[in-house]
Amino acid sequence: MIEFKLNGASVKTQDSPDTPLLWVIRDTFKLTGSKFGCGAGLCGACTMHVDGQPTRTCILPIAAIAGKEITTIEGIGTADNMHPLQEQWVAQSVPQCGYCQSGQIMSAASLLDQNPMPTEQDVEAYMAGNICRCGCYPRIKSAILAAAQKLADQDAESAKEASNVEPA
Amino acid sequence: MSNQPNTSRRTFFKVVGLASGALAAGYYFTHSEPLPPLVQTDDTLTPNSMVQLTDNNELLFYCPRDEMGQGVTTGLATIIGEELDVNPSQIRVKFSGIHEDYNNPEFGFQGTGGSTSIKAHYTQLRQLAANFRALLIESAVIDLDVAKAELKTDNGQVLYGNKAFPYSQFIATAKTLEIPQHAKLKSATEFKYIGFDRPRSDALEKSNGTAMYAIDADLEGLAYAAVARCPVIGGTVASFDAEKARMSSGVFDIVQIETGIAVVANRYWDAKKAVKLIDIEWNLPELGKVGSDDIRRDYDQAMEAEDGDSSQELGDLDIGFAESKVAIDSNYWVPFLSHSPLEPMNAVVHIQGDKAEAWAGHQGAGGVAGLVARNSDVPVENVTVHSTFAGGSFGRRAFLSHVAEATQVAVATKRPIKLIWSREEDTQNGWFRPASLMRIKAGVSASGDIKAWHAKRVGGNIMPDTVANALPVLMPRAPQFAVDMAESAARSIFSNFTTEHASIEGLFEDYDVPNRKVNHVTVEHGLPLAFWRSVGHSFTAFAKEVAMDELAAKIGMNEVRFRLRNMKANPRLASTLEMVDRRVTELGSEQGRQWGFAAHSSFNSYVSEAAEVSIESGRIRVHRVVCALDCGRVINPDNVVSQMEGSIMFGLTAALYGNLELENGAIKQSNFHDYPILRMNEAPAVEVLLTESSEAPTGVGEPGLPPLAPAVANAVFKLTGDRLRELPLTLAS
Ligand code: FES
Ligand code: FES
Repeated sequence: MIEFKLNGASVKTQDSPDTPLLWVIRDTFKLTGSKFGCGAGLCGACTMHVDGQPTRTCILPIAAIAGKEITTIEGIGTADNMHPLQEQWVAQSVPQCGYCQSGQIMSAASLLDQNPMPTEQDVEAYMAGNICRCGCYPRIKSAILAAAQKLADQDAESAKEASNVEPA
Repeated sequence: MSNQPNTSRRTFFKVVGLASGALAAGYYFTHSEPLPPLVQTDDTLTPNSMVQLTDNNELLFYCPRDEMGQGVTTGLATIIGEELDVNPSQIRVKFSGIHEDYNNPEFGFQGTGGSTSIKAHYTQLRQLAANFRALLIESAVIDLDVAKAELKTDNGQVLYGNKAFPYSQFIATAKTLEIPQHAKLKSATEFKYIGFDRPRSDALEKSNGTAMYAIDADLEGLAYAAVARCPVIGGTVASFDAEKARMSSGVFDIVQIETGIAVVANRYWDAKKAVKLIDIEWNLPELGKVGSDDIRRDYDQAMEAEDGDSSQELGDLDIGFAESKVAIDSNYWVPFLSHSPLEPMNAVVHIQGDKAEAWAGHQGAGGVAGLVARNSDVPVENVTVHSTFAGGSFGRRAFLSHVAEATQVAVATKRPIKLIWSREEDTQNGWFRPASLMRIKAGVSASGDIKAWHAKRVGGNIMPDTVANALPVLMPRAPQFAVDMAESAARSIFSNFTTEHASIEGLFEDYDVPNRKVNHVTVEHGLPLAFWRSVGHSFTAFAKEVAMDELAAKIGMNEVRFRLRNMKANPRLASTLEMVDRRVTELGSEQGRQWGFAAHSSFNSYVSEAAEVSIESGRIRVHRVVCALDCGRVINPDNVVSQMEGSIMFGLTAALYGNLELENGAIKQSNFHDYPILRMNEAPAVEVLLTESSEAPTGVGEPGLPPLAPAVANAVFKLTGDRLRELPLTLAS
């Protein structure tokens, strides 16, 4: 029995400890947004956050995640409450077949956590682990840069508001 | 002229179209009756099988084409929204069921491919939507008791003066009227949606993990299957020992199927683990003796020693060469390739009594139904196919042996089955883009006019495998010997009697050539061959456009001017090349980089590309690509741009990396470490220019690919002086 946190909720599973996390999330917990692309850590379609770190879960046995916090694409944003990256993904019509996009967004979210104002080269280097067979790269890159800019603008805006608050 | 349809696929589709039409009549319905879920109910209006208006004024579109990434749901909804005056973003798109009404008008059966969807449905859907709008107006005339001339429509509403009435208000009356058949279509100047950028309707669900693919299907009691298959395609099981696998955790069943031994387990991971524990002796096919060197040697020999079939003859080559001042005689090679869509092949099949349900990404739902029926006792009309998004296809999902496998397992185990191929299986088990050896002998006069063009191709043909694959689908009850006979007939026809058009398309059409001939020699070793994004053009454009650069260099002309001079009969392609040339001049070039050019028409569209290349640490690096496209009237410019971007990345993967090799009949490459796909840090910036055109819309899913590899090779020549005539491009060390 292995216990961990999945998108904020405590869960446990009886799946055998060598099962890669991807299959447990998809087949046992029925969250199918994370995808199987290569099964070998080469394409990034299965990317989730494990304790905040972007991780290839197709090669991560669940024995290694006991007690950890797992976030999947389902925990990043919803249709009514989109992650800023998802807003840009929609605004710029990023996806083609869409199959890689959960993994792309999970990697991109980690990038922005670690580096809120990445350069183009930063984005290219960080995202090189995520394959898009449809070739959406130009749009993925531009959506990430736009989301970073928007987040920075919002931060600046709220900092301004905070400094404008009169002391009581 | 270049404007030649893909006639071999056309002809084939006509033939199978007839068969499928007969099938549809025999098996499904005798006339076009809207199918469930398009049943007429009191509160919906369903004037045809594509669109349905609900009582809360929602418009549903039952999309007849499959969505594999090309944006067809958005594109076709835009066409409907335009003539119906409904904002396409508000149209709810569902995938249609199986019915002859949903046939691809270009094919005559329900298939998606060949970059045909917009071209095939443009007029059909406009008319159908215009008729629907006319019906609503007529109903409003009655209900509101006003003159027709006083009514307008906009955004799902009938407008009268300053009052607006939702379309749904007129459902009851509309049901009592005959549907107009020939309502007037809008003129292009009235377009509000066609020709304007519009976000993809599926972008949200494809950005938050809710988009449904076949691999996501779930069912009560679902069991998972993985297959131990022969490393050599076509091998069969001689004997096997699965005792260890049987004892492995979670394993329910072990069953022998046509292609190997399937393990059925409680979890996919259990099945995968157990597959490795099975010992199998295989009966190897002839292919088992073949390696890459053998194939290349056989192709080389055929190129030297055989003439094969000759076609496309014009004038007299001897005269042409006599009039030439310079000539080239070059060979070009491209390898076998896998499609490698990111969603590996998979299928879910559930059989209950004489009914079945199936999920599988496909390029035609009928293919799924046909294979389920063929491999079970379920009549084809009792198979429900749940169409989902496909995680990429590029031609691959026209071939559905994984559906046959899942059905065989479901029948043997009496369980609902999800069968998933690993990436390794997906890479190694075809169908493949055929390898090709091409030769171009050509001559140019002193003034720079092409006088002679003799092209020759050696390689396998796609049609025999397509026939073998399609017949069981179209005629699920046809006995295997009949299918085998049809396949070998097709093989014999294209090997001995005539040239399959897809084997030479693109090798000879684009330029003005007075003296011309194309020879074709079929050499096959038993690898299954398929359509692969842009089909024949994926290899012929490489040979043709590198040859054009060689000729320009030999006669001492600028490569763009040389092409334009010899493209007088192909003005649409010429104008895309001029656009690219102008843009490249504006952009200029950075130190240490060169631009290479190529132009190629395919799928009735015209594309020119320029690639800016440098050599960095001994590797080819593509920095920028400028692409100009004429695809007739553009429905959604942004989506066309997206398809060009994707085709360029796909083409660059093939130009730099794609290479499947054989050893003892087995494909050596297996996963993305040794069959690499272009990654973001290698992706060029892409600029796409679209021509303004009022011609009928043509294909965009494939035509962006063919010019890319030759453009890169031509840039490398300018940088290094080395002519690269083989893919993937490899620098002389
Ligand atoms: S599926 Fe995990 S990296 Fe490809
Ligand atoms: S959108 Fe198809 S693989 Fe990325």
